[in-house]
Amino acid sequence: MTETRGPAPVPVEERLFSLVLALLATEAGLTKNEILSTVQGYRQRYVFAGDNASLERQFERDKDDIRELGVPLETIEPIDESGNNQHLRYLIPKGAYDLPADISFSPEEIALLNLAAMAWREGSLSRESRHALLKLRSLGVESIEPVLGYAPRIRTREAAFDPLTDALSRRMLVRFAYLKPGDLSPRERTVAPLALVQHEGRWHITGIDQQIGEPRTFLLSRIVGPVTRTRIPFENDARGTAETALRQLDEIWAANTAVVRARPSSDAQTRLVNRRGSIRRPDGDLTLHYTDLHLLADDLSGFGPEVFVVSPPELRAAVRRRLELTVATHQPVRPTAEEEAGRAETA
Amino acid sequence: MPKQPESPKQPGSPKQPKSSGFVHAQDKLAFLLSLVPYLLDRDRVSVVDAAAHFQVSEEQVREAVRLIAVSGVPGETSQYQHGDLFDIAWDDFEQSDEIQITHRVALDDSPRFSAREAAALIAGLQYLQAVPETLDSAVHSSLMAKLARGSSEEPSQVAVAKSEANASLVTIRSAVAGGLQIEFDYVGSRGEREHRVVDPLRIDSNNESWYLRGWCHTRQGIRTFRLDRMADLTVTSNPNLYRPGDLALSDNLFDGSGETLGVVLEVHPAAVSLLGEYLAEGAPQLERGAVVQATVRVAHIHGLKRLIASLPGIVRVIEPPEARRAVHDWAAEALAAYDDSVTS
Repeated sequence: MTETRGPAPVPVEERLFSLVLALLATEAGLTKNEILSTVQGYRQRYVFAGDNASLERQFERDKDDIRELGVPLETIEPIDESGNNQHLRYLIPKGAYDLPADISFSPEEIALLNLAAMAWREGSLSRESRHALLKLRSLGVESIEPVLGYAPRIRTREAAFDPLTDALSRRMLVRFAYLKPGDLSPRERTVAPLALVQHEGRWHITGIDQQIGEPRTFLLSRIVGPVTRTRIPFENDARGTAETALRQLDEIWAANTAVVRARPSSDAQTRLVNRRGSIRRPDGDLTLHYTDLHLLADDLSGFGPEVFVVSPPELRAAVRRRLELTVATHQPVRPTAEEEAGRAETA
Repeated sequence: MPKQPESPKQPGSPKQPKSSGFVHAQDKLAFLLSLVPYLLDRDRVSVVDAAAHFQVSEEQVREAVRLIAVSGVPGETSQYQHGDLFDIAWDDFEQSDEIQITHRVALDDSPRFSAREAAALIAGLQYLQAVPETLDSAVHSSLMAKLARGSSEEPSQVAVAKSEANASLVTIRSAVAGGLQIEFDYVGSRGEREHRVVDPLRIDSNNESWYLRGWCHTRQGIRTFRLDRMADLTVTSNPNLYRPGDLALSDNLFDGSGETLGVVLEVHPAAVSLLGEYLAEGAPQLERGAVVQATVRVAHIHGLKRLIASLPGIVRVIEPPEARRAVHDWAAEALAAYDDSVTS
């Protein structure tokens, strides 16, 4: 859409900034008409007693943009005029907008928060963390640089992460196909998302599975295909669901143990010894904790001959299946006669 | 926290995302809403200082100040009269590049965080509990509570499991603080164990994996080491040659551009991201029916074969034949141990 009327068009940020200022300044609130006809960026395009449908749609989108930044843009419905949205009034209550005056951050806290935001510098939540950093800097506190430089990074490789965080904040049901460990084909799930948690480096979504009406935890890496955001809202007053989800995953992790044998001085031994919670037994074998047998089987398969699974039998079987699959998918393509002969001899 | 030794350079932390311009109008709005309270608090501040504080370009600051200076509220007349607008000391701004707001309207305090912004910071703090700079748990909890209270809505339920403080990081940090080299045994992906002497430069991380970037005296070059592959880490009494910030480090943990072996992989489209650091940005990916073909560059197959064997049925080596053979033999040798154990 082009803005043909009037002189140079007002930049979008000027319109958004003017809208925030106007709504902060009003105590009684402004009606949509007052906003469109008087606020910088809208008034230039407002047609008196005419059709302002496209300008109204612009206003709706601007409200979303402003709210996404955490600005509490509120709507009041006059008691006597209910049902007529021409009389709705919009405002930003100053008390709900301002960071509470007693909140301050020390230079050490700012340094740590800088790193926390830096961890999200790629992909998901990167814009949110940049906006949060700008707001922190507005407080004017200089940070103390750590002695050692850090470049932390939280990666969310799963495409499901963004639609799920969005559904989480909007409290909308989501649908996705989920390949349960051990199943051969995915099944569609409808879930009320409650929390997204990273445990042992893997992202999980906890929510109420709508088919069974009970809470379930899903691995994002096992969600196959796109996440569909429905327009169906759900009620949720639960607090601290993320903490609960992490605690439950940790309980599973603590209860599951496997015993493996690693070649001395191998990469597998060094890394498995350094793995959280691993214990070296008197016979040299390692006891490991895990949350998901299939994921541990993936990791252990990568170590190839450097590691041997002693127990449990299901883990052993899972690793064997993986190794067999790797062997099967890496057979030589059209081997030459000599190669064939060479392999036959060594086998 | 020990005082940082005098150094004109910043520690070797990577730059924040390109400071050259905000992409979205929403980003510019976040900057405007943050800049105003900062300027009001300072009374008078130079463009240079404001740009350095916000880590943006000087021109971005000037552009924002010009906009703030002509912005305001419609006012009683709905005409944006002079008193309804912000004003700045124009002469100081134009002649000495200094900013002073002389009249303000509507806005004076820092804005609250959004639910997602607070959640990103809180989850980031949880993640950072592995680093020695983390605060003791009481201060840490109060910091998270402050973020939650400073949010305009309940922060989104996003959390990262608490990781224990990493002992290697504590050792490395004390070496840097003392200006000393470190030494350790390192097991490479070929399985060879080697003694290394290193000047630590920076700690990088990628989810649950932590890495040391450093100048390796053994190899006379910048190298990346996985912390969980190090053994017998100690601080030496030798002064280091390079300090953090002395050498430029790329943001990429692995730079495959100089590597000679090109390996063609077949991957399920949904699993391309599992190749992670191996797949250089912009590397060509060819769609072949239901799968994608991608080429990764490595020095040798021994690191890559571990990744392939951990993703059976998802990633497959197509070429060259010796790489296929290496993966095959790696898995076959492992399998043989189980077959032996059955018969014995």
